[in-house]
Amino acid sequence: MSFALPARQITFGRNNQQQQPYQFQQPQQIPSSGGLALPSGGTYQNTQPSTNSLTLPGPSPLSNSYTQPQTLSKLPSPPATVPAAASNAVAGPSTPPASQVPATPAALTLEQQHITAVEGIVPTLQNIVATVNLDCRLDLKTIALHARNAEYNPKRFAAVIMRIRDPKTTALIFASGKMVVTGAKSEDDSRLASRKYARIVQKLGFDAKFSEFKIQNIVGSCDVKFPIRLEGLAYSHGQFSSYEPELFPGLIYRMIKPKVVLLIFVSGKIVLTGAKVREEIYTAFNTIYTVLCEFRKP
Amino acid sequence: MASAYYEFYRGSSIGMALTDSLDELITSGAITPQLAMKVLQQFDKSLADTMVKQVKTKTTLKGHLRTYRLCDDVWTFIIKNPTFKMESNDMVNASRIKIIACKNGDAIEAGKK
Repeated sequence: MSFALPARQITFGRNNQQQQPYQFQQPQQIPSSGGLALPSGGTYQNTQPSTNSLTLPGPSPLSNSYTQPQTLSKLPSPPATVPAAASNAVAGPSTPPASQVPATPAALTLEQQHITAVEGIVPTLQNIVATVNLDCRLDLKTIALHARNAEYNPKRFAAVIMRIRDPKTTALIFASGKMVVTGAKSEDDSRLASRKYARIVQKLGFDAKFSEFKIQNIVGSCDVKFPIRLEGLAYSHGQFSSYEPELFPGLIYRMIKPKVVLLIFVSGKIVLTGAKVREEIYTAFNTIYTVLCEFRKP
Repeated sequence: MASAYYEFYRGSSIGMALTDSLDELITSGAITPQLAMKVLQQFDKSLADTMVKQVKTKTTLKGHLRTYRLCDDVWTFIIKNPTFKMESNDMVNASRIKIIACKNGDAIEAGKK
């Protein structure tokens, strides 16, 4: 996803006037390429793992055509009724929008906020942790003996640790029938992996069901590509921040709404964790981005 | 204490040879089956000890780990297309191997604590 961004910036810096052809392609392209990072509002819902995120002949005329890198402003809110993709295509080349004060996301639906992700930076999901109840007692030794890629060392840990290659994930399987699946990069992958583990357990002769699947944590990360004055941030946002460079080089920012914890590093790299849904990651990032710009290192 | 030793070395060529010989001796009536069992147990112990104390040869191998398993302190690895590099710099290839790794000698004692 992030690979696509520089290319797009260059293109649009130069070809700002020549966007007409793209404009017409836009609406058709979007439904077809579910992996496009920015232009399609539904990307994060069609959680097909977006392998084709580089398919950008007609990138969204978002951000660069009109946003100055320095301005803290979010992109203008598209009219709430117009489908996001369409409004982008129209708004991009023609109207140089009035820059808005960042604190007005009220007009935006959650979905649109992600589209207007500042400067085209969208956090990448790095890990999803989910729990499942297989709803049946399990004999862990049987599982360890018969399943592949399983570890069971009851002296160390009272669960079987099992891995699969696709989606590349790890599961902890407990005798109670509860299971924790970690390592997935998308909600769908997490669910698919959990189902696969449940199936493996089933095939070993247990009456395993697939119930109470719940995503417990989502971790995302991104790079704002400018250095940040953490001391300043810690000082003015003391209520949310904990910055102890002798203990940990990053600033720990506990956002209240959405309830997400952010690790902010001098380099401009950000880790967001604690979210239960993807939207929380995006909202938290959009919220923190405006703050970070304020504390950009000169 | 004899039970503390794994019996899998009986499946090696030297172990098979010993088992065959003992079978022959039992059939010809030279020894009793009980004695044969004793011999085999001693074989398990001796081979395990020898492997720990006297075998210093090493080899390194590279390959793709297909499957692994840990259960009862025994690791099992199935490796695709391994390449062994012997100490003499010989290279040996195989399409698929299975490695079974057990605790031995001191490690067994350490594990009990």
